[in-house]
Amino acid sequence: MPQFFTNKRLIILLGSIIILVALIGFSLRDRANITWPEKFVKDVTGFGQNIVSKPAGAVEQFFDDIRRLRNTYEENEKLRTHLDELAQLESDVTRLKKDNAELRKVLEKEESLADYEPVQATVIARNPDRWYELITIDQGESSGIEPDMAVITASGLVGKVKSTSKFTSTVQLLSAHDPQNRVSAIIQADAAIYGLIEGYDEEKKMLKMTKIPSDSNVAKGQTVTTSGLGGVFPKGLVIGKVTELVPDEFGLTQTALVEPAASFYDLEHVMVSKRAMTKVLPEEDRQQVVIEEEAL
Amino acid sequence: MKKGLLPLLMIALFYSDSVFMVFFPENAFNGIYVPVPRFFLIGLLFMSVFFDRNTAIKYGFLFGFLFDMFYTGLLGAYMFFLPLIVYITSKLTKWLHSTLVIFFIIVLFDIALLEMIIYGLNVLVQRSEASFEQFVFMRLWPTLALNAIFYILFAIPLRNAFQKLKNIFG
Repeated sequence: MPQFFTNKRLIILLGSIIILVALIGFSLRDRANITWPEKFVKDVTGFGQNIVSKPAGAVEQFFDDIRRLRNTYEENEKLRTHLDELAQLESDVTRLKKDNAELRKVLEKEESLADYEPVQATVIARNPDRWYELITIDQGESSGIEPDMAVITASGLVGKVKSTSKFTSTVQLLSAHDPQNRVSAIIQADAAIYGLIEGYDEEKKMLKMTKIPSDSNVAKGQTVTTSGLGGVFPKGLVIGKVTELVPDEFGLTQTALVEPAASFYDLEHVMVSKRAMTKVLPEEDRQQVVIEEEAL
Repeated sequence: MKKGLLPLLMIALFYSDSVFMVFFPENAFNGIYVPVPRFFLIGLLFMSVFFDRNTAIKYGFLFGFLFDMFYTGLLGAYMFFLPLIVYITSKLTKWLHSTLVIFFIIVLFDIALLEMIIYGLNVLVQRSEASFEQFVFMRLWPTLALNAIFYILFAIPLRNAFQKLKNIFG
């Protein structure tokens, strides 16, 4: 009889290793969104997570408020100096907005890559094993969130939606180590310089912006924003500031180290940006437009 | 009715990991150390020793599955390795008499084992580029320290809870 049991154990072990490998292979596949059983489990777990983490978040908020109360005076002084500038800035912005709308009307081009509709969301969980830089937010498909949408905080871009279920979505932060985590970006110099935000330097805590043409003049301190060319991200979301420039290994392009504007730590409230303008269609639905050169 | 306390306790432990992350400032120590809460695993090990091994394996499988789906997205990892670690522990406690002090060492060994397995898996699927030294320095020691503190604080309540549950289940 003992012989039989060891055999049975061996079969169970081998069987589960096969299932393990199959499941890991399945989850690493390049897929657009998760399958419906996963969505269901996520919604159920997310519901419990909501119940648990909302009160916990409220308690934490309370202690934060008390801590903040201590340096209110200094903060107030600082804000007062900003306030004077703000009035001027505000009137400028309204004037420019109006100008912009009018000029767009003249051009008959009312939509812009920069328009987006923000969806407010609260972070309900962060991956406790902290390997993948994933956070879970309490808004999902029911509020119109789709995979690959940009996720921002008040200070800048933090990541993109990785997968969605009905009432929750998972957000991958820009600091995640994932070769598929790429964002098309512009450095705002005199002429816009295009590049890709690709990868994160964990030691320096900087984002890497690659594929910058080697002849472009990039200076330290220039602002990096999204370009809106990636397909789903709106244009003009702040990513960070250039701090260092290094030529890449072949000397054909440059890589800039970008100090992120938003903190990736201790996120509580984020916004998901739904881009207003049409998205890039999937490859099979795309229509090819051939521009013929006019014969001279 | 009282039998429902067991799943309730395990659910509370399951969420305690992520609730801990809500309170823990993530860039404490300038982000040099990454302590990972493994409170659920500790609870599961207590369950396997002071309650029943096979139930603990089932719970490990189920909650590992939830963990994979909800937090990491890498299916199968915790689902497979949590039951395996429960099994290894039950073998270890068979020939090491289980007082709370010896069990402390076993728990730390299990946590180190799980961390190393998950690290190896992440390197294998290219989700991480950390070297082994980096991993030991950044994750393993801080994780062991954090969970050791948790063990010292909660070992006796957890043991008592599972012993009581064992009486309820008869």
